[in-house]
Amino acid sequence: MIKLKVNGAVRELDVDPEMPLLWALRDVLGLTGTKYGCGQAQCGACSVHLDGEVVRSCVTPMRRAAGREVTTIEGLSVDGNHPLQRAWCELAVPQCGFCQAGQIMTAAALLASNPKPSDTDIERSLAGNLCRCGTYLRIRAAVKKAAGIPEE
Amino acid sequence: MCHRREARGRCALVIALVALACGCTRRESGEARKGGGSPPQVPAGELRSAESFAQIGDRAERSRALFAEASRVFLHPRCVNCHPDGDTPHQGMDQSVHDPPVVRGPDDKGVVGVQCTSCHQDHNLELARVPGAPQWHLAPRVMAWVGKSPHAICEQMKDPARNGGRALAQIVEHNAHDPLVAWGWNPGHDREPAPGTQEQLGRLIAAWVESGAECPSEGARP
Amino acid sequence: MAITRRRFLEYSGGLALAFAAGRVLAVDPRNGKPKRTTSGFDPNVFVHVATDGLVTLVCARSEMGQGVRSTIPALLADELGADMARVTIVQGDADKRYGDQKTDGSTSIRNGYEPLRKAGATARTMLVAAAARRWKVSPASCVARDHAVFHGKRSLGFGELAAEAAKLPVPPPEEVKLRPRSEMRHVFKDLPLIDGPAIVAGKATFGADVRLPGMLVAVIARPPVVGGRVSRYDAKRALAIPGVKRVVEIPTPKPPYAFQPWGGIAVLADNTWAALRGRAALEIEWDEGPNAEYDSDRYRITLSESVHAPGSLARNTGDVDAALSKAARVIEAEYHVPHLAHVTMEPPAAIARVEGGKCEVWAPTQYPQEARTQAATTTGLSENDVQVHVTFLGGAFGRKAKSDFVAEAAFLAREAGRPVRIQWAREDDVRHDYYNAVNTQLLTAGLDERGKVVAWRLRTAFPPISSTFKPTNQPSADDLQQGITDRPLAVPNVRAETCRADVHVRIGWLRSVYNIFHAFSVNSFIDEIAHARGEDPRAVQLEILGPDRIVTLAELGVDKLSNYGDSLEKHPIDTGRWRRVIERASEMARWDKRRADGRVLGLAAHRSFLTYVAVVVSVVRNGAGGIAVDEAWLATDAGTVVNLERARAQMEGAVIFGMSHTFHGGATMKRGVTEQSSFADYRLVRIGEAPRRIHVDIATSDGPPGGIGEPGVPPVAPAIANAVFVLTGQRIRELPLTLRLVT
Repeated sequence: MIKLKVNGAVRELDVDPEMPLLWALRDVLGLTGTKYGCGQAQCGACSVHLDGEVVRSCVTPMRRAAGREVTTIEGLSVDGNHPLQRAWCELAVPQCGFCQAGQIMTAAALLASNPKPSDTDIERSLAGNLCRCGTYLRIRAAVKKAAGIPEE
Repeated sequence: MCHRREARGRCALVIALVALACGCTRRESGEARKGGGSPPQVPAGELRSAESFAQIGDRAERSRALFAEASRVFLHPRCVNCHPDGDTPHQGMDQSVHDPPVVRGPDDKGVVGVQCTSCHQDHNLELARVPGAPQWHLAPRVMAWVGKSPHAICEQMKDPARNGGRALAQIVEHNAHDPLVAWGWNPGHDREPAPGTQEQLGRLIAAWVESGAECPSEGARP
Repeated sequence: MAITRRRFLEYSGGLALAFAAGRVLAVDPRNGKPKRTTSGFDPNVFVHVATDGLVTLVCARSEMGQGVRSTIPALLADELGADMARVTIVQGDADKRYGDQKTDGSTSIRNGYEPLRKAGATARTMLVAAAARRWKVSPASCVARDHAVFHGKRSLGFGELAAEAAKLPVPPPEEVKLRPRSEMRHVFKDLPLIDGPAIVAGKATFGADVRLPGMLVAVIARPPVVGGRVSRYDAKRALAIPGVKRVVEIPTPKPPYAFQPWGGIAVLADNTWAALRGRAALEIEWDEGPNAEYDSDRYRITLSESVHAPGSLARNTGDVDAALSKAARVIEAEYHVPHLAHVTMEPPAAIARVEGGKCEVWAPTQYPQEARTQAATTTGLSENDVQVHVTFLGGAFGRKAKSDFVAEAAFLAREAGRPVRIQWAREDDVRHDYYNAVNTQLLTAGLDERGKVVAWRLRTAFPPISSTFKPTNQPSADDLQQGITDRPLAVPNVRAETCRADVHVRIGWLRSVYNIFHAFSVNSFIDEIAHARGEDPRAVQLEILGPDRIVTLAELGVDKLSNYGDSLEKHPIDTGRWRRVIERASEMARWDKRRADGRVLGLAAHRSFLTYVAVVVSVVRNGAGGIAVDEAWLATDAGTVVNLERARAQMEGAVIFGMSHTFHGGATMKRGVTEQSSFADYRLVRIGEAPRRIHVDIATSDGPPGGIGEPGVPPVAPAIANAVFVLTGQRIRELPLTLRLVT
């Protein structure tokens, strides 16, 4: 049995300790906001927070999450009102939307540690998050908007 | 200066280095020499054993040859990829730039969102093909090996200012037993391992220390 | 077009909430059972007005990021006069009554615009008639707006009128008048992104997000080579993996493959991890089949040989051979674009449940009706017993128009007797795609003594889409009108030929399809001609485009043009519009000042899916010894644009999309097997590679709507290649350009 906190709630899961966190979240807990995009830590669609740090849940084994706190997109805020979520809507960032939970979770960790990131900081931190629809410019703008950095 | 155990080791080092510097430059060769010289070469994936260098009579020359052999490990892409001199790790036998693009970060562990351990776990993942070992991270910049000669790596490795403040005994320990170093021989998923085994490297380095921790000359190659 | 009445189902689940932008309802069993509507008014399949005033609008096209759910309901609502705050949006299931639901070809608005406006207008007309009747006034003296009908100061809400309107006869479309554009309050401007809140909260339901009780997850080991099959297999180790329940062999399809499941061995488990592990534990021997020798490098040579010999005539004016032989100068170039893979962020996944003689499917499908047909065929049920619900699509670009993955789900659900989710892994998606056709072209131009182009010969070779559906390697006329037969050239002697290209993989269609390579070659070639003459590429573009005119079939040297399924009367090839986007893009990019400013620019332009697009990019060397696009300008004329905001987003995205195949390339095959299998070797542009700015200009127009989703893509690669030539002196004729560039 693996015990951990997910979005503030203690959960006990009877799963293979090597099962990636992603599948425990999606298949066992029904938290489908975190997405499967590649299973190889290449695309970032599966990004969640583990004790506040970004991990690719598709490769993070459950035993690594044992006794720790996981935050998924569903738990990032109450009612979708995290500044990033608001900025994402204000700037109409998403197109298909599949990558955006991962983008937002990574950006949230960035802002938590660097409240006024530069463009370079944003690009470096989000380098692991792919967007096939090509919303990168709006992602960058929305991170800055959420950070209160004025438009150039 | 020589008031601590660690520093005493350093003292010995300094003395040895000074002695070396005063000596004349020796003809250096890692190639087999006729009679009493280096042991015969082995295939690329193997390492010559520490014992086989005993046939080199001259202690200093033996020492240099031992390090040169060890440098076949250090310069192998499996190792040198995480000892870059720049801000990004390398990947693959062709040592191309790591993809996804990642940067060193302030503590050699990556930056927010793409820390090394955001993706790399404590062991290799076969289905996901992501390599892993405990505490995956980059060697600090002072320990960069890319583009360095065995001589330069040797000097670096002996220098407490650049080797994380380690005494020679700790250098032996690090090479012989560190679990991240160990990964070089167990890289997973069809990746070519470093030559030999970690145990063999450990013995080579121990023998090198024991023979005076001499560095190969600048032009020497394994 | 007959518009019929229809009851349809309204889904509960938070309906009470009404955001300003309208409540989104994905069809999702987790949201509770469908409940019947209260009595209301259903003038047609797209509009329902409940007696409590809640208006339900159907979006019957698939949402894959192009914003149909933010656009179609808004169009209906504006025509109707509804207040979006009191509108609920339902995603239409597969249903012939919605008409064509194929969400590709950039058709949702250009084909749906008039029928949708008629649908909204019909509802409005009937509500107005009901109000006029009640007040005993003329309908012409009433106005429908803000969710009510007004006569002077008095008003009756839509809900209050619904029951009476329901009793009125539905007027035929010819009698229904559309509002003048000035009365359409919200459309033709920026519209809100309806699904933004759900997406950013992780609540949007994509294919793999649907969960049913008792569901199994299936992953399939498919034949590595197209046309291959299982020779022997051993599932012992797979079945020993905890969680694995069944191993099922999928029948081998017979060509032509169309949307048939791909064959192979399926592992069914109670969670995805177990299924993936189970598949890895299968031991399978493959009979590789007829395409085991396919080598894309050798095939490249084959295509080159093919275009160096005459082919079948596609278009012909004047006498190209004679003109070439008399030309003062001949310029020739060969271009190549590899197979491209869709690599949508969401790999294909679908859920099927087969029980009690019925099949229910949830799928991210671009073709709901075809998915329904495919599921019916696979399960042996009648289509009437198959329901297909459309989830959000995590990207499509044409991949999810092919319902092979739906057929797999249906097959396995029937075999297993339990609901099944088929999950494609990323490796499966890259290796077993319906690739965009690989292409080689040979362009030959004859110039006279003054440098004017007097002869133009183009030979193109590509395995066609039709090969997926019938045993042929011949491109169709429709294929060629993507950049070959429809391309205006102010050149007196023009000939285009198609040359032989055999087929060794499943060929599909990928966002702008054949336009990708035909725009690449033509725009690069024009640029080469310009540089050969020492002239400004923009000037030569406009010279070869020729004077402003409506291009005739005679000028093109063809008998007919399918014109993307629309008439040439409604959507002529108008070189004036083509010229203006070139001028607009180059004006935005300050083209004339580029040298003075020390900027390196490249230009390309193309018409596809009835829309004109010109792209200018600026390239610079980056620190890593590579080349970066640091800014892009895109000008488009798409006729009437219903949602400017999403159109702009699509154009921005098209630039990034085009950059991926320009810089990072496509799929290659060795021994019949695709060499790429993940984002590590099928690379996409990442955020650090994106330009600092992308400027999009959309022409103001009230002409008929053109396509939006695809036309931004074709000019991107040639604009970049043209800029790279100026930056490096290297002319890259083969994508990805990083393969050939000497840095």
